[in-house]
Amino acid sequence: MGKIVTVGVREFIETVKTKTFFLTSVILPLLMLGLIFGSQGIARLAEKEAVPTKHLAVVDRTDVVFDVLQRFVEESNARHPQRKLAVQRVTGEDANIETLRERAAGGEIYAYLVIPPEATAREESGEAPPASMPSTASAGPIAGAVQCEFGRKDGNPEVAERLRYMLNRAIVEVRFKQADPPIDLARVRKLQEPVGFRNVDVKTGQETTGDEMIRFMTPFAFMFLLFMGTMTISQGLLTSVIEEKNSRVVEVLLSAVSPIQLMAGKILGMVCVGVVLMSIWGIVGYGGAHARGMGYLVTPYHLTYVVLYFIPGFLLISAFLAAVGAACNTVKEAQSMAAPLTILTIVPMMLWWLIMLNPSSMLSIVLSYIPPITPFVMILRVCADPEIPIIEVIATLVLLWLSVLFTIWMAGKIFRVGVLMYGKPPSIKELIRWLRYD
Amino acid sequence: MTHAVQLSEIVKRYGEFTAVDRFSLDVEIGQIVGFLGPNGAGKTTTIRMIMSILYPDSGRISVLGHPRAIDVKDRIGYLPEERGLYRKMTIDQTLRYFGKLKGLHRRDLRRRIGECLDSIGLSDWRYKRVEALSKGMSQKLQFVATILHRPELVILDEPFSGLDPINMDLLKDLVVDLRRQGTTVIFSTHQMEQAQRLCDRLVLINRGRKLIEGTMEEIRSRFSSRILQLEGEGDFASLAGSGGVLDSEFTTGHARLEISAETDPDVILRRALDIARLSRFEIERLDLHEIFIKLVGDDDETPDFSDKPSVPGGLK
Repeated sequence: MGKIVTVGVREFIETVKTKTFFLTSVILPLLMLGLIFGSQGIARLAEKEAVPTKHLAVVDRTDVVFDVLQRFVEESNARHPQRKLAVQRVTGEDANIETLRERAAGGEIYAYLVIPPEATAREESGEAPPASMPSTASAGPIAGAVQCEFGRKDGNPEVAERLRYMLNRAIVEVRFKQADPPIDLARVRKLQEPVGFRNVDVKTGQETTGDEMIRFMTPFAFMFLLFMGTMTISQGLLTSVIEEKNSRVVEVLLSAVSPIQLMAGKILGMVCVGVVLMSIWGIVGYGGAHARGMGYLVTPYHLTYVVLYFIPGFLLISAFLAAVGAACNTVKEAQSMAAPLTILTIVPMMLWWLIMLNPSSMLSIVLSYIPPITPFVMILRVCADPEIPIIEVIATLVLLWLSVLFTIWMAGKIFRVGVLMYGKPPSIKELIRWLRYD
Repeated sequence: MTHAVQLSEIVKRYGEFTAVDRFSLDVEIGQIVGFLGPNGAGKTTTIRMIMSILYPDSGRISVLGHPRAIDVKDRIGYLPEERGLYRKMTIDQTLRYFGKLKGLHRRDLRRRIGECLDSIGLSDWRYKRVEALSKGMSQKLQFVATILHRPELVILDEPFSGLDPINMDLLKDLVVDLRRQGTTVIFSTHQMEQAQRLCDRLVLINRGRKLIEGTMEEIRSRFSSRILQLEGEGDFASLAGSGGVLDSEFTTGHARLEISAETDPDVILRRALDIARLSRFEIERLDLHEIFIKLVGDDDETPDFSDKPSVPGGLK
């Protein structure tokens, strides 16, 4: 045991001294915070950047909408001087749709808009439109509504949305004016004034001042940091094993310690690195969230689960990669041998959205029982839904620890033979034979 | 316990290939024993089995009275053929690390490291990184890392390969020092000369088998024939037919004759004087290399004595 600790201490010190560790421990969480808190800032910055005025040709077959639309466009331009739109009415020969399409395609104008004559002639009797919310969120066609043709080359949703909003307001205004008897538009607008939401955390009753997006992204941040911590450190273990093989230190070491002691020591050292890293992140995250009055985001509840799942998850992956490192001679060989694991660990990164939206779905449950990704999936689930049954937590942890024991046993066997092997990396068949050596 | 190492009938196979074949050996405490043989003879495999890095398929091993070296690792110093150091660590850190792994106490470490570095003239480098050392220096460092904990048994696999003559002499002196302190030393080499000068006992190995074992004198006495070297102007070829000539080799102006123990060299010298103007006449005994070649004898392959390590591990 003393020797395992000696090996572990060296591994720990040598790892903590490296640049990679510094980058992982400091830069990565900063990036993460930047990503969460900074995305709106970046969006705001992008808004400030001036873009050239977009010219639109409008064919107004109603003859009345264009003037109102133009007024709205001017108002909008005053509010967003960086993103001006210019509308111009075309008539007669110029209003030929073929010509307009060519002009838009050629880049002479940004787009053209055709307002059909029936746009304002809405029957007041007849069937009322469905009582659903007036959709402003989706630009898709509304069933039964009058369709205006909007032709352009790119697909910038921001421009389309603005224009659609202004056009609708213009058309509604015209319809109100033409109604018999006329309706007081100002009064209608007043009645239509929307209400706002004040978001409150259910546990603390505290107003969740920050953006809802931050709250939503937090479980992902937990998983992402867990993932990055596990993967970068265990990759470090793999590299360190390969380096010891290549620099031929390994046989010198084996004169003092058994291969199993060597492997155990290295894993122990790396687990300590991981714990230090997680502690740094935990303290920074906890402190940071509390300092910004968002303590509900990072609670001891979250941190307990991070620790519970990090340790076995890390042991599992690092034991696996220690064995891969022992069997290979170059980092490249090792990466291709570890590819199945790498691909597997990407699954929760790709499906996090689905898991988080529905933490108790069949997909989420199934993914929870695939040992190498259990920690990531479970962190997402318990953070997204504190009501995950405790029995599931216990079951996944038991399965995880069982696979840790199995992997360490297997890794020990492979490590023992592999660490003195040079030449071409072993095939799966050879690896299985190594497992049978006593 | 009078034996540091006892091997009886150990066998190691890799599939069809037998790396070590019924190898038996007793190494007495306090001796320097040399394993000699060409590359791929099984020296490294045997040493790895002594060190419990590999395990024999059959046979028994006893190291310092224990069946497995793992149990007595702290009493053994091992310098593998494939050796290296952590490049980013300082010399002090390196020795401290290996010392600790060998069970040395913290309080002894500092003093012991100082002494060891003095003995190889690296004291000034103590707090420099290993990567700053020359190849010779790092080999010396590896050697002291092996003996830092004052082991009772030291096993050196090809300790002299790649060393320049000055460092080689230094290392030899250190090995002789070890014997003076009563340490048992086993080392392997393919350079016969080193072995001849250093060892109390020699073990000649080829193709996983022990060919012969004993002191230099014992081995020589088994091969009592002598070598005559002749140089001069004239054709020596007719000497091949002289009585008692076992083997002969001629080049222009030079002859090398092997004669049996009973043959009088003077007879050959007289005949040579009749047919040539001699500039040199020498009587030599067989050296180790020649004995080795004789022992390997009718093996179809020429043993590879080149100065390159054989494929390490060899597990295939």
